[in-house]
Amino acid sequence: MDLNRPASPLQNKAAKRTALAATAIAAALLLSACGGGAAPQGAEQAAAADPASGANASGAVNICGVKDASGIYKGTAEAFTMANGKVTAKYTEIGATTDEARTQIVQRLEGKSTECDLFVTDVIWTSEFASQGWLLDQTKLVEANKDRLIPSTVETTKYQDKYWGSPFFTNAGLIYYQKDKVAKPESWQQLYAEAAKAPGNGYVYQGKQYEGLTVNFLEMLYSAGGEVLNDQGDVKIDSKETRDVLNFMSDGLKNGSADRAVLTYNEDPARLAYESGDFGYQRNWPHVYRLLNATPLASSFAVAPLPAWEGGKASGVLGGWNLAISAHSTNQAGAVAFIDFATTPDWQKHVAMDYSQAPVNEAAYSDPAVLQKMPFATELLASVKGAKPRPISPVYPQISQAIYKNVYAVLSGTASTEDAVQKMAEEITAAKASF
Amino acid sequence: MVTKTISPSRGPAKTSGRDRAERKLAFRMTAPSLVIMALVAAVPIGYAIWLSLNQYSVRTAGLSRFVGLENYINALASQEWWAAFGQTFLFAGLSVSLELVLGTAMALLLNLAFKGRAVLRTVVLLPYAIITVVSAITWQTMFQPNMGLVTNVLSTLGLPGGDVVWLGEHGYAMAVIVMADVWKTTPFAALIILAGLQVISAETYEAAELDGASKWQTFVNITLPLLRPAIVLAAIFRTMDALRVFDLPFVLTRGANGTESMSMLAYTQLRENRLVGEGSALSILTFLTVMVVSVIYVRFAGGNIRDVAKEEQ
Repeated sequence: MDLNRPASPLQNKAAKRTALAATAIAAALLLSACGGGAAPQGAEQAAAADPASGANASGAVNICGVKDASGIYKGTAEAFTMANGKVTAKYTEIGATTDEARTQIVQRLEGKSTECDLFVTDVIWTSEFASQGWLLDQTKLVEANKDRLIPSTVETTKYQDKYWGSPFFTNAGLIYYQKDKVAKPESWQQLYAEAAKAPGNGYVYQGKQYEGLTVNFLEMLYSAGGEVLNDQGDVKIDSKETRDVLNFMSDGLKNGSADRAVLTYNEDPARLAYESGDFGYQRNWPHVYRLLNATPLASSFAVAPLPAWEGGKASGVLGGWNLAISAHSTNQAGAVAFIDFATTPDWQKHVAMDYSQAPVNEAAYSDPAVLQKMPFATELLASVKGAKPRPISPVYPQISQAIYKNVYAVLSGTASTEDAVQKMAEEITAAKASF
Repeated sequence: MVTKTISPSRGPAKTSGRDRAERKLAFRMTAPSLVIMALVAAVPIGYAIWLSLNQYSVRTAGLSRFVGLENYINALASQEWWAAFGQTFLFAGLSVSLELVLGTAMALLLNLAFKGRAVLRTVVLLPYAIITVVSAITWQTMFQPNMGLVTNVLSTLGLPGGDVVWLGEHGYAMAVIVMADVWKTTPFAALIILAGLQVISAETYEAAELDGASKWQTFVNITLPLLRPAIVLAAIFRTMDALRVFDLPFVLTRGANGTESMSMLAYTQLRENRLVGEGSALSILTFLTVMVVSVIYVRFAGGNIRDVAKEEQ
């Protein structure tokens, strides 16, 4: 071999062919990684869960859902097994993140898997899953348990006048504020005005282009009296309220009420920024309370429910997790028994005390033992009771994308409010038409 | 080589019969791997193409209807696709050219004889060994406004950029993504180019030196032309990767501020929106784009290499 010539893999035709083949294989790997898995499956008539069946249940129940970070799912399964005596429950983690869990659940439901009897579902998944005929109708069960459940939390399981899950624990946004620097927020306008007064008073929230921005935007829109879809499902986003809120938010970024860095914040970066002590207000979820208590800010911060829009009333957006029974469950009675247990007022106290999650039972919030562990329970209850579900639609992911992308465009200054509102309305209408 | 020395000794008529038998044997021996290749590569591609020709109902799980090229027509008529197309090419162009320039420089340095060269060659590869998502999170932290390393250093030194929300602005966000990619994959390009560099014989350089060529003349007239095949190879690998970029923008910006790539668009339709037909069409379009670019590379850059090789002879 001539050593003066560099060996090139592209010198001849054969090598060229090899390179092309390599390209094809690489591309194929890309494709197979992306390839969807829609198993053919017909529509089904949804069966209904019988509330009385729980009493005579026996056998095993498998509950599937996201990684159990707080230990609540495994803890509840164990406590249920001990208390029930006849039914044994176990919790199976099927995804490290919310997105992964959704993918895993969808795959099981599309494949009519009988592995899981119950799924722990994010509140925004209910209508999508229900519309596919994947869930058991829980209307009778929810009605039987109605007295113990906070009405707003039940609404997150509603789709087409029926209930497709039972709320397990809920979640609502809170305002954390530095009581030595700023006043308790009564209205969004007051919060923003106060935040702009001094450099250390600023407001941080979740403004990255993702689901969290939809939530932050809707919290304000709902309190301003606006809505995305009305009860009939018509698109109502093209409104004065939407324009007011968008202008308010983008003015807040311009005049320094909110730091421009919020455009890159999801939950954790917002919390970390706030922990630096350079800000007055933070919008975040209840779990931040415990974390803030472990910082030097422990003595100076306080918690408030989300404020009202000036001249309106306070509202918000519900998060949290529901229990949905799989249509392919082989132990529906056992699943009903588990739901009965998980939603009892007594167990809901443990939800707050042992796992720091927001209960779906109102009495739990005023329980002395709960108040000791969760001193902001009164503020949290106010936020939960005032909150509404996010738009109820099987194409919710697309609706949310239309919201957060266009809101982001206004906040980052790449689109005018007017253009963004129109685009939002168009995209939401198109998304709904795809269903 | 061995085969070359043997073949002329055979009679021409006999060879063809033997060749055929040998070819048959070769085929039989490679058949299992061909079958596996077909299963691994061809079947998923075929399935993805089939999916992309259908529209799946979001209303009723699994219900589909054949729509022909409608998904493609819709995608090609949409602003999103062309925005993502342009952004992906901008990213690929910027990052690949930087990687090649820096990679060549790095390879030249690593090719020098110095103490600890072997250790350094290994250490230099570290960024490439880090999982992209992890390095993306690191970059995100560094460019965090208020408390990030980069923003802090810039503002302490009074340099521009210290008060910029890097990941929240058009242009800046792309710059961070390009930087993250260059940091991670320059060592890879350097390694390929280094391999090319090592094949160039010392005698060529000696001859150049005797002829009185300056260092720069040697680099431009000898090193670069002889390195060309290696650089083209690195360019092909890197361009193919860059055109499929997903993890960096997904972690750093979620596609905001003009950084949504073609792969991200396909992901959103497939995974988040469960629009299997539309999403598959988008992945096929991404696939075709990568394919076309590679063919162009091989055609033109490959042809050049042949010319260069001929000239040398």
